[in-house]
Amino acid sequence: MLYKTITKSDFEHLIDFILEQNEIIAPRKVGEKPDGTPIHQFLPIEAFSEMDLDYSKTEYSAKTYFLPFRENLSTWSFGDGGWKQDIQYRQKPRAIIGLHACDIHALLKLDKVMLKGPFPSPYYKARRENTVIIGMDHEPCGSGFCASLGTDILTHGFDLFLTDIGDRYFVAVDSDRGFRILSQVPLAEVTDEDRRRYVRARAAISEKQTIKVHTRNLPTLLDLTFNSAVWEKWGSKCLSCGACAMVCPTCYCYGVKERVCMDLASASKVKQLHSCNLVDFAEVAGGHNFRPTREHRLKYRYYHQHRGFAEAYDEPMCVGCNRCGDTCLAGINPPDVIADLEQENP
Amino acid sequence: MSVRIHSYDVNREFTMGHPVDYTRRSDLQNVDHVFKAEITNTVNLTEHEKLFHIRILDPTERDRFHFHPGQFVMVVLPGYGEVPISISSSNSQRGHIELCIRKAGLVTDVLHRAAPGSHIGLRGPFGTSFPVERMRGKDVLLIAGGLGIAPLRAPIFYITERLGDYGKVSILYGARTPKDLLFDYQYEAWRRIYNVHLDIIVQEPDETWTGKVGMITALLEGMEIDPDNTFAIVCGPPVMFKFVCARLQEMGIAMQNMFVSLERRMHCGMGKCCRCNVGSTYTCLDGPVFDYWSVINQKEAI
Amino acid sequence: MRYLGIEPVKPRVGIFDFSGCEGCQLQLLNKEESLGAFLSALEIVHFREGSSEASDDYDIAFIDGCVTREDEVVRLKKIRSIAKLVVAMGSCASFGGVLRHRNYIDLDAANREVYGDKPKETGKTRAIHEVVKVDVTIPGCPVSKTQVERIVQHLVLGVPFHDVVYPVCVECKQKFNTCMFEKGTLCLGPITRGGCGAPCPTGGLGCWGCRGATVDPNLKEFKDLALKRGFSEAEIDERLAFFGGFEGITCASI
Repeated sequence: MLYKTITKSDFEHLIDFILEQNEIIAPRKVGEKPDGTPIHQFLPIEAFSEMDLDYSKTEYSAKTYFLPFRENLSTWSFGDGGWKQDIQYRQKPRAIIGLHACDIHALLKLDKVMLKGPFPSPYYKARRENTVIIGMDHEPCGSGFCASLGTDILTHGFDLFLTDIGDRYFVAVDSDRGFRILSQVPLAEVTDEDRRRYVRARAAISEKQTIKVHTRNLPTLLDLTFNSAVWEKWGSKCLSCGACAMVCPTCYCYGVKERVCMDLASASKVKQLHSCNLVDFAEVAGGHNFRPTREHRLKYRYYHQHRGFAEAYDEPMCVGCNRCGDTCLAGINPPDVIADLEQENP
Repeated sequence: MSVRIHSYDVNREFTMGHPVDYTRRSDLQNVDHVFKAEITNTVNLTEHEKLFHIRILDPTERDRFHFHPGQFVMVVLPGYGEVPISISSSNSQRGHIELCIRKAGLVTDVLHRAAPGSHIGLRGPFGTSFPVERMRGKDVLLIAGGLGIAPLRAPIFYITERLGDYGKVSILYGARTPKDLLFDYQYEAWRRIYNVHLDIIVQEPDETWTGKVGMITALLEGMEIDPDNTFAIVCGPPVMFKFVCARLQEMGIAMQNMFVSLERRMHCGMGKCCRCNVGSTYTCLDGPVFDYWSVINQKEAI
Repeated sequence: MRYLGIEPVKPRVGIFDFSGCEGCQLQLLNKEESLGAFLSALEIVHFREGSSEASDDYDIAFIDGCVTREDEVVRLKKIRSIAKLVVAMGSCASFGGVLRHRNYIDLDAANREVYGDKPKETGKTRAIHEVVKVDVTIPGCPVSKTQVERIVQHLVLGVPFHDVVYPVCVECKQKFNTCMFEKGTLCLGPITRGGCGAPCPTGGLGCWGCRGATVDPNLKEFKDLALKRGFSEAEIDERLAFFGGFEGITCASI
């Protein structure tokens, strides 16, 4: 890996340079909670000043810039007793600024499903390849438990990754594309002092990671507690509203629907992000539902995140951001659910 | 100074590090490509089930389309939707397939109304298959309950087309009532094939029924098998294959030598939508064909 | 979409108004970009707000509004006897809508208050399905034109229509909204049927439940979480009763 340092004012110039010809998505403050806590979201920006890089966690993950909530997979035009299929993968390049380590880990996990397995997704690949990732270190977000999942630190998955070392940014460069962008501003070689400051900055962040969730034996635990009353307890609270999956940086389940134009001359095959908590997730033609209760469905969200995915890719799908826990009106959150499973002693 | 992020055109990418293989790992360009096919003929089987004879229209695509017994296709009706259907015919007829379809939802309702000559779309084939190659030289039990005969027909054709390669072959088929028996016009042919034993049973006979009455497992009673030398393919609803496989286990067949086919909701067929998730796996990638050991080790598979 | 040998039919349609504001009928004439295609897919033979024709020969009846008078019962039964298919259109037709409130007050007193010594005949509010059999229900106040279009497509192609079964939250989240509860506003989104596109929370108003209960709503947890956030029992109950779409659904039924 190549490391450089840049001044903070040069970083601002860099953003302006990128903005001249490209779209930038960055954390923006969109409002405040009644208690005054700011609410941030990843949104397009027009100027450096619209960004708030000192955010702790965005309300929604940046997943939607890679797996949109709704996406047209094919367009059909009908005529002559048949149809024509049109598929478009093209995407405009853009940059996402300020992603934290957990959100970049989420993309790496999605890559495993969308790019590295059988049937790679061209729709995802088009977005992934055309997005420059400029990540950033930040202090722990409060409710996240990324340290327990090892997603608080990062070695790849970005073009540039910045750590604040006082008056300068310490920049890890992981792609030629990133290097060419960074080279637009004056770069300094990393000095011994920079190195020391970087290590201290990282250590200070790690020290503040206080939330611990026991996830190491979770795949087995989830199997052993499959019929536990813990699921009844949390399942009875679940609203089956799917909010957790919508804000999650890794949940990728979807449903497909046909949307027909009123004149019946054309139609589109539309993909819409779904959630395993929604009532019809596992319902088959004829009406049988393989997961008829909230308890079944909630359990499977955890089972997929922490066991199914782990069996397939040797790591959990969850990155520990706790956005699902933050957004859940019923207060269902992974640290509490997992703690309950731990105490269950099956 | 200014930066322009170069665009990356996925449309111009031809492979993604995997060899181009239309039958399993799809070429990036063809992930959502739909083969156009024609319904050449339909056969009414019962009030709710119809057999569709389907031929891929484009000769090159027809030649390229190859499946293994047990795999499924997504039947695509643009504007209506898609449904996963097991292929129910011999894989020796390139580009021609037969699909046995029960009227159960929107897409299958529309299919039942479609006239021969109509065009439909196909994606696939997808999923795992019955390891018929591994079964060479062995005795094979082919067991179906109800609509399970539809996916079972593919291995039946495969094996009966190569009987010299297999030992004793038994086809056991059970249905609820005589009216539910599918492909009755084929029994006589199957019965006369050299070295094939066919046995049929119904649970609820009507006044015309002269055959056996009882559960499908009754057909296994008193059957002499060589457990170390026998493979079984069991297709039917979970409650049926659970009892059949338990019985076969008692008879000494290893769970890894019994194969079942699972059914789940599917939206993609490519391991992405998660709708067919069973335990830790996906029915579309790791299934629909599983050995019985894998099935009992997946939560909620049965 | 003629490739399957399935010819789209052009059904004869009647649109009928009962007690209500008739806003749902007006919705039928909205969405100009596809209005031409919408109108040519159907043969509208009875539509007071859209045409002067009034025929009694139709296949499909779209019913707007609910039943509050005996003469409406007679008219509705006649429509049912003619139409092959009856569509309850909008919250009033589906479950009574805002007019359901009349069932909780002293109607005679209200009648006297409004009409003085010349009271009008009026009775309890009934949804269309409480009087005749309904084949398709599209709740919403007003009904969404996009959804009506979708139903019409299903009717002309002769395929069954299945409404969305997830709650409003799904579409609300997909619009990047901050949860109404986070902003201190009561919202029925988690227990109300989606499909509307969450226009109210997107515009800053909590959901009032005009699409009725979603499939298998978790009413008990919803009440608990709303109470915990400082909303009173009365406030929650009033909200639930507003469109009548939660009537008969109790915490015990989960």
